[in-house]
This record gives sequence, C-alpha cells and structure tokens, in this order.
Amino acid sequence: MKRLFGETPDAWGFVLPSVVIILGLSIVPMIWSLILSMQSSDLVTPARWLGLTNYRVLSHDPAFRAAVIHTLVYTVLFVPLSIAGGLGLALMLNRRIRFIGLYRTMVFVPFVISAAAQGVLFSFIFDAHFGIANAILSWFGVGPQGFFADSNQALLLLVLIGLWSGLGFCVVVYLAGLQDIQQELLEAAAIDGARAWGTFRYVVWPALRPVTIFLAIWETLQALQLFDLVFVTTRGGPLESTTVIVFFVWNQAFQLFNAGYGAAAAYVLAFTLLIVSIGLRFARRNQTEEVGG
Amino acid sequence: MPLNEPETSLISRRSLLRGGLSLTAAAGAGPLLSACSGGSGSSDGVAADGTVTITMWHGQADQGKATLDKLVADFQRRNRKIKVNASSGGVLADSMLQKITTALSSGQYPDIAYIFGPDIASVARSPQVAHLGKFTKEPSLRWDDFYPAARDAVTVDGEARGFPALVDNLCVAYNKKVFKAAGVPEPTASWSWDDFVATARSLTNPSQGVFGTGWPADGGEDCVWRIYPMIWDAGGDIVNKDGTKVAFDGDSGLQALTTINQLGKDKSVYPDTKPGSETMYQIFSNNKMGMVATGPWQLPDFVDNKTEYGVVPLPTYNGNPVTIAGPDTWTVFDNGSARVEAAVKFLTFLTNGAQDVQWASQAGSLPLRNSTAESAGWRKHVSSTTGLDVFSQALGYARTRPTIPTYPKISQPLGQAIVKMLLDKATPQDALDEAVQTANAALATG
Repeated sequence: MKRLFGETPDAWGFVLPSVVIILGLSIVPMIWSLILSMQSSDLVTPARWLGLTNYRVLSHDPAFRAAVIHTLVYTVLFVPLSIAGGLGLALMLNRRIRFIGLYRTMVFVPFVISAAAQGVLFSFIFDAHFGIANAILSWFGVGPQGFFADSNQALLLLVLIGLWSGLGFCVVVYLAGLQDIQQELLEAAAIDGARAWGTFRYVVWPALRPVTIFLAIWETLQALQLFDLVFVTTRGGPLESTTVIVFFVWNQAFQLFNAGYGAAAAYVLAFTLLIVSIGLRFARRNQTEEVGG
Repeated sequence: MPLNEPETSLISRRSLLRGGLSLTAAAGAGPLLSACSGGSGSSDGVAADGTVTITMWHGQADQGKATLDKLVADFQRRNRKIKVNASSGGVLADSMLQKITTALSSGQYPDIAYIFGPDIASVARSPQVAHLGKFTKEPSLRWDDFYPAARDAVTVDGEARGFPALVDNLCVAYNKKVFKAAGVPEPTASWSWDDFVATARSLTNPSQGVFGTGWPADGGEDCVWRIYPMIWDAGGDIVNKDGTKVAFDGDSGLQALTTINQLGKDKSVYPDTKPGSETMYQIFSNNKMGMVATGPWQLPDFVDNKTEYGVVPLPTYNGNPVTIAGPDTWTVFDNGSARVEAAVKFLTFLTNGAQDVQWASQAGSLPLRNSTAESAGWRKHVSSTTGLDVFSQALGYARTRPTIPTYPKISQPLGQAIVKMLLDKATPQDALDEAVQTANAALATG
C-alpha cells in the first residue's frame, strides 16, 4: 500500500478531483483527437483508419496552404503592431495628468468587448456602401473602398480590428511593467545626464524585456488561434481571402463532415503552438540565468 | 425563426472551443457516459405503466418556442401515454447540426431534432436515424398530403427519415416606393431574368445609394440556393442521377452565372458580404433597394417596418415557373421501436390541420400539407398578409435540393463562383469551370 501511494496516501484524495478533470477534459480529448486525425471520420458513421494520410493530403492542400498563409500574415502584422502600439500608449499613459484613470479605462474597454460584438459593430462601420468609414474617407477626398467586400482589404481590416481590441491588454501589461521600474534607476540616469531617449533606451527598455517577451509569445498564440472575428465578419470571405487555420478546421469538421481531416489540421496548429510555448520557456530560462549570473 | 437564412449566429471563440471540446469530449467521454447510463435501463423510455417518454430538440426561441410549447401541451392532453420532453436542445436551430453530430457520436441523442433540409442526408448516414418507410405507407398518415417539396426534403435514398418541419420558397419582393421614385413600372407575374436585370439597372441610383436588388455574398447557403431555380429553369440540375457529377456544368450554369454577373457589372446589386444577410433586408426595408428574392419569413418584418411592398414569382428564362423550397425537417432518431412509434404519432399530430396552420403562421412559413393550404384557417391568415398568397401558390411548383451527404461539397465551390460574379472578379465561364472542377473532384473522392 505504502509503496503504491507513497508516504502520504491522503494527499491523493485532495488531488484526485483535479486529476480527473485534467484527464477527462484535456488529456483524453487530446489523445482522442490525435487518433481522430489519423482516421477518415465524419463523426456519424464508423471511422476508417488512414494512418498519416490526412497529414500527407494536408501538405498538398492549396486551401490549407492559403489558410496558413492568411494566419501568418495576420500574425506577422498583428504581433509587432500590437506590441509597438501598446508600448507607445503605455508610455503616454504612464504619467500624472488630469483624468489619467479615465484615459486608461478607455484604452482597456475595447479589450472587454466580446469579439462577436466587435465583429458586428465593425461590419457595419466598414460596410462598403452604407458604412460610416467610407463617409469619413470621402470628407478627405478618398474614394469609396471595398473593405470587407474587397478580397485585398478584408484581412488587413481584421488586423485593424484585432489591434483596436487587443491593444488594451498590451497597454495594461506594459503599464504594470513601467510601474515596476525602480524610481532610483530613473533618478540615477537623470543625475548621469541621460535625456528622455537615453533613459528609455538604456533603463526602461531593458527593464521591460521580460514583459515584452511574454507579450510577444502571448499575442502570437492569440493571433494563430484567430477565429471568432472571422466567423462573425467574413466567414472566410470574400473569395476565401480570410480563411484562417481555425476557420479551416471548423469548416472541415462541421460543414463538410471531414472531422478526421479537420483534426489533422488542428493538430498541425497545436504543434505550432507547442513550439511557440516552448520558445517562451527557453526565453524565460535564459533571462533568469542572465539575471542570476 | 426564418430558417433558410442563417442568422448571424454570434459564435465566439468560446463556443467554437466548446464545440471542439464537446467534439472531443463526445467520443472521449462518450463511451464512459453511455456505459454509465447503460445499466439503468432508461434507454427504451417505456415506464412500467406503459408511458413512453420522448425527447425533442427543436432549436427554437421566443415565438417559435411558445407555439411549440402550446402544441406539445395540446398533444399531452390527448395522449396520456406519451410524454414529450420538448426543449431547444440548448442551441438555436443554426447550431443543431453541430450539436446532433456530437450527440450521435456520444450515443446520447434525442428522439426528434430540428435539422435543416440540406443537412438531413449527412445526419442520416448515421445508423441511429430512424427508418420511417413502414409508417409513411400507412393511409392514416396521409403522407401524400404533404407537398412534394416537403416530402422530398425528408426522403433520403427513397425512404423518409423524418417529418417535414417547415417549408418556404423564394419569390421576389419589390419595394413600391423605390419603383415609384424611379418611375419604373412594377413587375408582373410573368417576367424574364432579362426583365429583372433591366429593371434592377433602371432602379439603381448611386448618388442616392439606391440599389436595384441584393444578393448575399458570403458564399454560404443563403447565397447559393438562389441560383438553383435559374439552373433548373435553364435545363440543368444540381447533380446527375447517381450523384457522381454536378449537372450545371453546361449552358445552364453559364446562363445563370452570366445573369448574376450582369447584375455585378451593372453595380445594380448590393452584395451583402456579412454573414446572415440581414443588412440586405434592412436596406430593402429602408427604401434603398428595389427588389429582393426572399421567402415568406421576411414578410412580418416588412409589415413591422411599414415597408410598402408587393410580391411576384421569380423571373424565368423560358416562361416555365420554377422556384426552390427550403424545407427543414423533424429528423427522427431510433431509440427503440416504442419511442420511434411515439415520435411518429407526435409528429403526425404536430403537422396536421390546425397545428400546421398555427405553426406556419407564427414561423412565417407555409403550410406543409395541401389540405392545410385549403383550410379556412390558413386562408384567413393568407388574406391578412400581403404577398403571402404568391408564396403559397408557388409551393405547387417548388423543387428542392437533393438530399445527398455530399451536397456541401457542391455548395461551397458554387458559392465562391457566385461571389466572383457579384463582385465581378472573373468571367462566368472561368468561375463556372473552377466550381465544376472543384465540386466534381470532391464528389469523386466521396
């Protein structure tokens, strides 16, 4: 008995609920979905074993390649812009001015709004014919744009909406980071004759590095998992110009009944996310070594 | 609820994850769950006193739910031996397919569910979907009294797998104010697609933001089903007899796409790229659009908005009237013969005479049965809503989409072709060729 349950058998009683939940809701589905990805299954009729065929077909599927490219374009634009924008806004908001609490709240509010509501809101604003965006552009002498009806603009528009709502999070995290910087360091820099840029470059920015790494990884994970905004605003259109990976998975599994194929695509994404997360751990570890050494 | 136009279902990432989770949990935990409940002996649903309990997932909210609750209560009063547990199933009809798919794979499914017409064939691949052939042969069911379009919609491989739940079809609603302002004569019952295109062109007025017509441009089913009457009229079909190839690859598809492309080129069509097609109807109601192909479900909205409208049948190429019916189904699942029998009994009641009138009136749909259409109750309802008579008559010649599981693989590429036409991004021939090639390739792999 002791050999089986260790020195403190009671402890198992305490961890059991979480073990069951993690096993039942995370591990088992993950394993099942891995098995599913190696089958031809529509979830309704008995499945057929395919081995790695789904993955092989996936690597030649132009629709999946397009979905990967759209996701990458979104990520490459969204992550740096949200970090740069978040840092800029945080620096502006990190000072004692009148109504600062109000400004900070306003920047954060969009983050709280659900993506579904944002999608509905923005699809009205950016309606090609009746939206307010084109009306504003026309004041400045810019001709009417297609926006969500233009396959060249739709994805960029999604980045823009993503930024509108995602910036708030970066700002809050950066603000916390900025307020963590010891006042003495800034004062010492000032005594040494550093100006604003010098202080930022040699004191603030290095101090914000851990926060920046965290944000870069976090925002990348968010961007790679983009779905809700696409679903509400464009359904992957126009002309499949905004099909992202998760949307591709949804379409395969629930519209075309290729659940096995969809699971394979989901696993490709999951694997990518895993690599990104491992990257985070390495970045963190290097950092603690640097600090410690 | 209008059931053909997919509502802007506000699916958030959370509900996708939930979908994915239930997808995974379904098969992961499913065997466990069914193992748990297997022992209790509840699955046959027959109590010791002979009462049969059946479960129905209707996917309805508000008015639809209220009407059904009332009809269920009526049924309970007359049938003490059958207990009907009717609920939405936790989802709206839009998401029922997802819900039922996971329910089937977990082995815990209802007896009746509201499944959209185009989806029944996919669901019916499951051995858990009941075969109703022996019931529909019974004269007391008066199966032939259902409109052909309604019957076809629930028939997969020659056998009924459910009951018709709702039927509607497409006609053209036109805005009288817009016609008057443009000085264009109102359309008449016998008009051609050329007339339609020309009328749309003369109604369009960019400086005032007025469009001749509108067409959903998200590539979804609401975008696609509008082209089928044109294809049928031009002598084509959706698939060939054995379901191996599309049958709009020739002139029929080309003719239909050319007509749509002309609307796109003239910029007389408002392409509604937002999922749900709601904007399109709002523009119509706000007197900024002259004509829109729509179903009877939209009429209550027009009445509420005090839109001055009229309804005419769809235009044709050859003068033979044709339209598409978008029926939905009460799909029946097999939880043992006692429960199937009870479900059939309940659905027979639900789709009969007075109940049919009540349900169709509140849903803004049409009667399922010929006899209902001729009943006094329905006639009274028709006379109270402008244009409803046109839809009611069109039901006689309405056709339906094929009930084959590969249908979504045809619909998606065709949807892309239509969007290309609306946005004028390709020639009709190129768009057709690509759609045909993609769809045929998908059909070949099954």
